[in-house]
Amino acid sequence: MVRIPSTDSEVIFTVRRKADVSSLAPRFVLTPGATIVPENGSVQDFSHGPVKYVVTSEDKAWKREYQVSFKPMTRMMKDTLEIDFEDVESETKNGTYYIWKSRNEDGTLGNDWSTGNAGFYLSNSKAAPDDYPTTVLAEGRSGKGVKLVTRDTGTFGRWVKMPIAAGNLFLGKFIVESALLSALKATQFGIPFDKRPSKIEGYYKYQAGTQFIDKESKVIDKNDIADIYSVMYINHDADGNPVYLYGDDVFTNSNIVAIARVSDLKNTDQWTHFEAEYVYQKEVDLDLLENYGYSFTIVFTSSITGASFEGAVGSTLCVDEVRVSFSKEE
Amino acid sequence: MKRFMIVLMAVMTAFPLWAGTGLSDMKWGVRLGYNIGGTAPLSMPAQVRKLNSFTPTASINTGVDVRMPLKDRWGLTTGLHFENKGLKAGITAKGYHMALVMDESELEGDFTGRVDINVKQWMFTLPVMATYTLSPKVMLKAGPYVSLLTNGGFDGDAYNGYLRQDNPTGPKVEMAGKDGKHGVFEFDDDMRKVQLGIGGGADWAVGGRLGLCFELSWGLLPVFKSDFKTIKETLYPIYGTIGFTYQLN
Repeated sequence: MVRIPSTDSEVIFTVRRKADVSSLAPRFVLTPGATIVPENGSVQDFSHGPVKYVVTSEDKAWKREYQVSFKPMTRMMKDTLEIDFEDVESETKNGTYYIWKSRNEDGTLGNDWSTGNAGFYLSNSKAAPDDYPTTVLAEGRSGKGVKLVTRDTGTFGRWVKMPIAAGNLFLGKFIVESALLSALKATQFGIPFDKRPSKIEGYYKYQAGTQFIDKESKVIDKNDIADIYSVMYINHDADGNPVYLYGDDVFTNSNIVAIARVSDLKNTDQWTHFEAEYVYQKEVDLDLLENYGYSFTIVFTSSITGASFEGAVGSTLCVDEVRVSFSKEE
Repeated sequence: MKRFMIVLMAVMTAFPLWAGTGLSDMKWGVRLGYNIGGTAPLSMPAQVRKLNSFTPTASINTGVDVRMPLKDRWGLTTGLHFENKGLKAGITAKGYHMALVMDESELEGDFTGRVDINVKQWMFTLPVMATYTLSPKVMLKAGPYVSLLTNGGFDGDAYNGYLRQDNPTGPKVEMAGKDGKHGVFEFDDDMRKVQLGIGGGADWAVGGRLGLCFELSWGLLPVFKSDFKTIKETLYPIYGTIGFTYQLN
């Protein structure tokens, strides 16, 4: 069973490369009273692309469409992952904030990247797209870049003791369900991956905001700093149940295999090169690797303690031309 | 408060003059009663699926009444009561529309889950009622009242549930458990300080100077100020009173 974040209208199941997707009968768990067309559990042909499902509310007054697809894994052939932040879309329902797309080698777009923008929408639903924490840098080092800004979440944010929202962009899912109750569980890090990363590098600019505040909105004598890191981990437990890393264990979970963390970020208004090697804490099982038994995340944030809602409003991290190189497997 | 007291004194002084009767005709009494009722919409919305609990609170109604006979069986009564119109209720809601408005921030959506509400409205009430003596023991009465809140509170907790932001297809956000803090709300400052309504009831002379009174008061103004949007339904205070009266003269 997979939990679909309420902000997603596109549901993609990734299956093995040779899987037959022409007759599958997915079953959906709906809000009590809601109904779905085509019928729940009915056999559908997913071999010609996504199948549209429509969910109708109990009082029939509300409908929402979902595009459900089963896509075979596309194996990456290159030995470098190139991330240039060129594929940006507007959030589809209201167009209120930006979302970033990943680009597969066959040119199709995927949903691997997420941001906390949906969480900021809770605190300030009237903000313009460029006033969100994660925005587009129109003039990047080449083409577009990504601009992460630590924002003030306003009266409501202060009330729930989340006075700031750091700009972030990561491989994984943002689970808005958890945003108020257990915010560290809202950032679900990692996508299944079949490569062994060795180094991450790229270019950044950074300007720390002037006033660092804690979650009680108290000013603290501290300088803000950005964070860029990448983590690889085993994505299941001994019983085969899926494992994800979240904001509260992304550096500490016992399933972690390797961490690369950029340690020398500083204030700079010029494009500055950064890099970090992956430090392996565990051996990599190549069979497991080939079968997508590992997941991998890259995280960019404008405030290093942003996940615990501490940082300086205005801290701005710009990133572009990120490259992750992989070890050649024998 | 000052303005209220002036109105009260004006009514008290004008009363005998207007009635054309002397002070000696006025019947004074004291009362001690209990208010029970609700601060509720006129009809329950479909979004309220279940009333889990309803607990009346310490809703005392006490004060002084003065009655003046006019003509035949007719008379007029007024007085000053100090009372609380309170309640505690727990409901289960599905898709209950609400908006948390805080300065420039607003979180609006439909809440599904449990809501506990705690209302208290301590107030001074000045009724002006026509009376009709049905029999030596029973007197009917009806008329308007005005109340001034001295201590109003409307707070509660939304828990074991979630909010769909904007509308039922919007982002879904879980709200705090019972001991959590995020679902706690408090709208004390949004309550009207002055309430108006109509009331009516009956007094029954039990024997000697002792009597019983039964009253119903129906608020005509919503309990919240007109710019308050958090709760979509307009809530009116509708309470019944049962109490003892004691005739002083």
